[in-house]
Amino acid sequence: MTQDLAGRAAGDGAAVDGDRAAVTGEGVAADGGSVAADGVSGAADGVSGAADGSSGAADGGRSRPAGSRLGVLGWLRWGWRQLTSMRTALVLLFLLALASIPGSVLPQQGIDPAAVTQYYAAHPALAPFLARLSGFDVFGSPWFAAIYLLLFTSLAGCVLPRTFRLARSAGQPPPAAPRYLGRLPQAAGFATTLAPDQALESAAALLRRRRFRVRKGAGWVSAEKGYLHETGNLLFHVALLGLLVSVALGGLFGYKGNRLLVEGDTFANTPVGLDVFRPGRLVTAGSLQPFSITLKKFSARYITSGDQRGQPAKFAAWLRYNSRYGGPMRSYDLQVNHPLNVDGVQVFLIGHGYAPVFKVTDGTGAVRFDQPVPFIPVEQSGLTSAGVVKVPDAHPRQLGFAGVFLPTEIDVGGRLASAFPAAEYPRVSLVSYAGNLGVNSGQPQSVYSLDTSHMRRLAVSPRPLAPGQSITLPNGLGKLTFTGYRRWVSLAITYDPGQLPALVSAVAALCGLILSFLVRRRRMFVRAAPAGSDRDGAASEMTAVAVGGLTRSDAAGGFAAEFAELATEIMREVRGEAAADSHQPGGASTGDSHEAPPLAGDLTQAAGAKGE
Amino acid sequence: MTRLRSAASRAARPSGALRAVIAVAASLAVAGCAAGRIAQSTPASSGQSFVQGDYSSAYFSPGSRPKAPAVVGRTLGGGRLSLAADRGNVVVLNFWGSWCAPCRREAPALAALAAHFKSAPVRFVGDDVHDSSTAAVAFERTYSVGYPSLNDPGEQVALAFHGTVPPVAIPTTLLIDSSGHIAGRVVGEISYRGLLSLIDKVLARPR
Repeated sequence: MTQDLAGRAAGDGAAVDGDRAAVTGEGVAADGGSVAADGVSGAADGVSGAADGSSGAADGGRSRPAGSRLGVLGWLRWGWRQLTSMRTALVLLFLLALASIPGSVLPQQGIDPAAVTQYYAAHPALAPFLARLSGFDVFGSPWFAAIYLLLFTSLAGCVLPRTFRLARSAGQPPPAAPRYLGRLPQAAGFATTLAPDQALESAAALLRRRRFRVRKGAGWVSAEKGYLHETGNLLFHVALLGLLVSVALGGLFGYKGNRLLVEGDTFANTPVGLDVFRPGRLVTAGSLQPFSITLKKFSARYITSGDQRGQPAKFAAWLRYNSRYGGPMRSYDLQVNHPLNVDGVQVFLIGHGYAPVFKVTDGTGAVRFDQPVPFIPVEQSGLTSAGVVKVPDAHPRQLGFAGVFLPTEIDVGGRLASAFPAAEYPRVSLVSYAGNLGVNSGQPQSVYSLDTSHMRRLAVSPRPLAPGQSITLPNGLGKLTFTGYRRWVSLAITYDPGQLPALVSAVAALCGLILSFLVRRRRMFVRAAPAGSDRDGAASEMTAVAVGGLTRSDAAGGFAAEFAELATEIMREVRGEAAADSHQPGGASTGDSHEAPPLAGDLTQAAGAKGE
Repeated sequence: MTRLRSAASRAARPSGALRAVIAVAASLAVAGCAAGRIAQSTPASSGQSFVQGDYSSAYFSPGSRPKAPAVVGRTLGGGRLSLAADRGNVVVLNFWGSWCAPCRREAPALAALAAHFKSAPVRFVGDDVHDSSTAAVAFERTYSVGYPSLNDPGEQVALAFHGTVPPVAIPTTLLIDSSGHIAGRVVGEISYRGLLSLIDKVLARPR
């Protein structure tokens, strides 16, 4: 039974408390008082607890399916109960974490296709096997989706019924007070001269003032407070669902792209204009926000002296952009961690570098190439950058060049290096090739690599070129001139419609968690009866008042203190009333002046069933 | 379909592993021993990022043809070109770049088709994206491209087709019927026969 209770309560510390309370409940019930048992087990989970209790009891025999007697429906119900249990949800959460490990260990097709290709080359036997298991597309694989959907179903199956139960319980009055309040975890008693009904009335008034929900019966008052505990609990679970939905939204409708943009150039946010495009499952070319961005200028300032020499001081990219074809142009000063936002799409500055400008004349004397070529930094301290120049339309031979751009060239023992990231002394060193670049075959190539397998290296010294200098190729194959350089920036374009919902969900989950930890659902019970019933009849006009308290989840602690305070206040209230009633001066002290049996003195307080 | 594009049309620009490869290559180059291959990152062997996987051909029947945007621009030769001026003809609009390997392979077939339809009411127009005009003119000369191409380094013509039938890769070829509606799209490298039959289909049902 406790198992089932825990199962239903899925997902929080309250479940454990629920267990404990249920056990206590059983203990009390075994002890005797059926009302007390009802009170305690009811308090374990309020109305929902009662529902749990009954459903738990109902399938006490069913939780161990007894073969054929169960039937299809029974099995389905059993399966559903297992799926929506907290244990299953935790196992699924763990599996989800486990399943994403291969996604970070193996190269992923959607993120780095080149790395996947390299993996195929390095592991020709293993790679196809992994591919069949979706090892290169982990987050899009059926098994990953299965875990994700099961977790979603498990959470939904747990949270939704609970929401309905809470909604129902919110409208219901607290349960009747148990008969023997002394058996409750918190109990106290005192005597008063006030009649039982009046004592109860005054206790009820006090509890109402303390914003308890109060219910009165014959000889008892029962009050409940702290419904926000369960609300916080539910908020947490609903927010968890919201988080999953947000992630799904991002995965389905979001996209990421990259674009390297040279100063003076423009690009459009279309699949055609992006260098790397990673769309979500439901993203089509038409769903991309149709903005254009022009890089007017990029500047980088570096620290020029001291220990930090060469470290970047500031990067800034001046952009002009519009949000649709032919729309009005606006300006933006793009900086690191200061993205541009266009129609919900964020554009980040994630890199920069140099694009030396080359002019290539072929063997026929015609200029076949004249443009900046982005070189990729291979180290950061001097921004030494590597790149290739391909001239596929040079005649009679296709030409290719590979080499480095050195912003501030120095010679370190015969080796070229760059001493500073700013272009103080820019030089380019290239190796020249002629032959077949391999691009005419139609096989896509990286623009950053040169396939020299069908090319011949030309006997040209790779001596560094200053801006304006040229390499004249042998055999009249042509000439390359390094005419200058431009800067480029690398932009990351991200659109994630799940981002805001995810943030809201995360905040809500945290609020719910805090709420459920700080607020406890607690009940106060008061019983009043003529004291003479079980004493020697000496004080027949005395009334014995018993106060009991119960909380379900006391994660933050402190209910004992609250109970003591409340019980004392009830005593004061009742005795104050009594004093006013009998027109005796002295107020609260009146009670003390009576010849007092142990009960009539100060408040007697008991813990648990050991009270009195 | 579009997921495969980046690899197909222009093998990825910088990425982590690629940078590492370039880094190694660069150090080799600096050391002056880059004799063999600089870097190999052609997405070929995996079989997952292939032009074939990218290829798709679509025909839209009259009535379901979205209207093509009015595009006016400068050609590589420096003249002015308006797509609307070709109204009355079927327009074959090919998005290409001189750096794009599949574009280079399909270029002879396109040139041959342009010659084939020389006397028919069919106009061929190119749109050169993400390119420099010098390299593009050199490409046109290599493949004896006889039709004009818009100079579109910032992909603005591609953007103008947003909301209609946008090009989703380089190369993409759009067919615009004589009333200015988009009647077909080929994503990826065209084949002579495939495009020929598509043009004939549009010619048979021009609007």
